Order: sequence, then structure tokens, then C-alpha cells
Amino acid sequence: MSLLLFKDELTGFYKSKVMIFLWIGLPLMAVLLHLWSPYTGEEIPFTLLSTLLVSSIGGTLAAVMLAVSIVHEKSQHVYDLFLVRPLKRWNIVISKFFAVYTCIAIASILTLIFGVAIDYFVMGGAPAAILSGAIESLAVSLSMMAVSSSAGVLIGVVAPSVLVGVILMIYGGNQISVLPMLPNMLNISNPVPFTLTLGVVTSCVLLLIAVFLFSKRQFE
Amino acid sequence: MSAANERNGFVVFEGVSKRYQSLLALNDVSFKIQEGEIFGYIGPNGAGKTTTIKIMVGLLRSTQGTLHIGDHPMPEEKSEVYKLLGYLPQNVAFQEWRTVNHALRTFGKLSGLKKNEIEDRIEEVLELVALPDVRNKKIVELSGGMIQKLGLAQALLHNPRLLVLDEPLSGLDPESRYEVKQSIKKLGKSGTTVFFSSHILSDVQDVATKIGILNYGRIMRIGTLDELKSGFSIKHAVNVVLSHDSGRCREVKSLRGVKDVEQPASNSLLVHLDSEADVDETIHELIQSLINLGCRIRSITPVSPTLDEVYLQYIRRGENA
Repeated sequence: MSLLLFKDELTGFYKSKVMIFLWIGLPLMAVLLHLWSPYTGEEIPFTLLSTLLVSSIGGTLAAVMLAVSIVHEKSQHVYDLFLVRPLKRWNIVISKFFAVYTCIAIASILTLIFGVAIDYFVMGGAPAAILSGAIESLAVSLSMMAVSSSAGVLIGVVAPSVLVGVILMIYGGNQISVLPMLPNMLNISNPVPFTLTLGVVTSCVLLLIAVFLFSKRQFE
Repeated sequence: MSAANERNGFVVFEGVSKRYQSLLALNDVSFKIQEGEIFGYIGPNGAGKTTTIKIMVGLLRSTQGTLHIGDHPMPEEKSEVYKLLGYLPQNVAFQEWRTVNHALRTFGKLSGLKKNEIEDRIEEVLELVALPDVRNKKIVELSGGMIQKLGLAQALLHNPRLLVLDEPLSGLDPESRYEVKQSIKKLGKSGTTVFFSSHILSDVQDVATKIGILNYGRIMRIGTLDELKSGFSIKHAVNVVLSHDSGRCREVKSLRGVKDVEQPASNSLLVHLDSEADVDETIHELIQSLINLGCRIRSITPVSPTLDEVYLQYIRRGENA
């Protein structure tokens, strides 16, 4: 991966306020979810809400960000100027993948830290079981976000328009959400390592396909 | 002797074709460009100019034929070619969040410029394209013409030996066109090979040392402006400048082989000849008649066609073929 392009992409997310929206927006959504959640007689720990939020929308956000960004830049011919320089083509998509993934992973971790901190001040700390569950859930979410992100890259590379990209992503997102359920379906006793491995392997396969297609692509 | 010299050209297209399903966008295109030449590539919309350029810079693959730039076959050795090449696409676009400085710095680094060279080069190229006060502006704040100039600046950043420009003057105001044309001429003089496409013939005429005319994906003609004109140089009209008009000079209209006579100015005649007439014989008789009519001739020259006329002739030939 080109460190220069990776840093550039991060700068781009910072300058175009994407980072701020993610890093402030995600914890803020957890607060809103907390305020709007129905009172059931027992308060739901903030840590749990944060984990639920991260696992439910983190991957979709990352995938849509990647797919839309790549399709948009492709259609605007932004890549033409990069492609005529002594740089391997795969650097472009891989740098974008890691930049988005880094952004969304930091947002997720911040949200969880925020949740734990709120619970600490409100309840004197989240219950140990919830905390360890939240960390496991975050690890699984991060691996699924990697899958979604690599799917976002692949769709960005193949989709002819932003709209098609988003449709494919929403459809594909539903299929990806099945992956964390696989350990249960297959009766695997230790699901976390299995899901993490599955996430890494699937991400690598999707990224390899995306890189191959991007390298072979003709830019009309 | 380098391979490029053996092939007798810095850029060598040999039988290049490009097919999009049923559409043959380029048909057996061959040409050579020598180092230091400014090659103007003209043709109507849809003729295949951008396809040629995209094959040249490796964004498209040809269906058939070979292409060499310098010593390197394309696209097999494109990493080597990209060190020699600067490219301005037709619709140049940058990531909008970048500033001019940030964009140029990234492209400079990607092109292999050293850290300490980049700042100076950015200054130089912005000066060269007459865009000196925008270095810290965001791309999104630039006008279309400024973005076009910035596109040229990024192409020049690493001092490329070959500059490939797709419609570099489109969207520029007259002053900017003049400045960019001067920059291209300057680059040509400094030894940079320039390949540029345009459908604005006066721009090509002003800048190019060699011109290729493309239509329907085929090269119709390649040559210097004079060579292109020479195919039409014996146009069926001659311009006669008189040092004395006896008042009877227009009577040459009655000569055999003369179709019409115009007098655009008091001291000149534009004599149109019959297309069937023997040009040499008719001009000889014209001179004799003018002398007999008491007219004094200062000069007599065949009317030279403009590039517009030459271009239209070749384009029509292509359409009729």
C-alpha cells in the first residue's frame, strides 16, 4: 500500500468533514438511541447500546462510503491522473480501503469507549459480563466491517453509477450480515475466533477480486 | 543506437486498432513522432482522438497493433513510460477537498520527484501556466479554466520528455489560450515532445510542427502544415498584385481557362481558374494578357489554402471513401 495515498485519503476524510461526522456522529447516535429507547423497568447499559449501534451500522457506513467514493471518482476521471504515474494500480483501492476502515474502526472504538465512560459515571461502571461481551462484539464487528469495506471496494470498482453501487451495497449488506450467524448455524463451540478468521479471509478474497478487476479495467 | 532510434521515432504507433464491440473506433492507425516535435492531432468529434490518446497513456488497451514510447513497448513497460510521460486528460478532475499545493505535491511525489525539488517545481509550473496566485486555494474554488491550467501544471511537474494533451485549450479564455500556446511552444523548443489533440484548427496551426488528421478512426494525412497544404497548393485561383492598373486589367476574365476575376483591393486581382484548365498554360497566358492590357505585375502567386480548407478537404475525402 502507498503510505502517501493512505495519508492523502485520511486527509481527504478529515478535510471533507467525514471524519468529524463519524467520530462525533456515531457516539451521538448512541446517546439518541439511549434517550429514545423504551423504558422497560431496567436501564439498558450504554455500553451495550453502543456495541449494538456499531455492529448494526458500522459496516454499512464503511461499505457505502467506499462504494460511493470509488464510483464517483471513477466517473469524474479523478483516477486518470494517478493511473499515468509509476504506481501500481492496486495502491489506489487498497489505500482507500484502509483509510475508510481506519476511520470507521476509530469511530467504533470511540463509541464503545464513550459508552463505557457514560456507564462508569452513571452506574459506577458497566457489568463485567457486558464489558467483555462488548469487547468481543466490537472485535466481531470490526472483522465484519472489514468484509463490508472490501465488498464496498469491489462494488465501487464494478458499479457503473453511484445509484447502482448503493443498491448493490444494500443488497450485499444483507448477505454479509449472515456471516456472524454462521458459527451458530454450524454449531461451532468457539465462535469469536472463527468469525474473526472468516472476516479476514473473506475480506482478503473480496479485496483480491477488486484489485484484479481494477488492474484490468480500461478507463474510457 | 537506441531502440527508439531504430524505430525512427520517439512515439511509434504501428497498425493500432481499437474496437468497442461492433464499433471500430481506431482503424490501423500508424504514425511516428520524433523527439522534440509538437504533433497536432486533429479530427472531428468522435474521430478517435481521445481513444488514440488513452491507448498512448495506457488507460485503454488496443485491440491490435503495437505502440512504443521511447525504448519501451506499451503497455508492457508502462511503469517506465510513465516516468517519461505527462498527461492532461480532456476532462481533467481532481479530488475537490485538495488544495492546489496538496494536489501538485502528491502528483510530484508519485512521479518520483524528491522532497526538496517539489516545492520549487510547483512554483515553476504554476508560473509557466500563468496560475501563480492559487497555490493555497482549494480545487473546489477554481474556475473551469483554472482547473484546465492546473491539469497542465500537474502534467509538467516532473519535466516529462513526452507531454500528451487532450484538448488542452478547451474551456480557456483567449488570453489563457495564448498563454498556454506560448507554454507549449516553449516546451517544444526546450526539447519536450508534445502530442496534443484539438478540433480548433487555428490553435493547431499556431503551435504544431507536424499535424495528423484523423477521421472515422483512420489517419487521413500526416505532415507539416506546408506538406498538408502542398496537396492542395495548386488551387484553382491565383492572386495578382499590381504595381499599376491601366483600368483594363479585369478584362482577363475573357481569357480561356479563367472562370472569374475579383478585385479585392485596387492593386490586386483574384483570378479564379476553371477546374478543367491547364493551370500552367492559363497562368502563362494571364501574365501575357495583363502585360498587353498595360497592367504592371508586382507578383503573382497561387492562393495558398488555409488549414481549415485543407482539413475540410481531407475530412470530406474520408467521408466519401
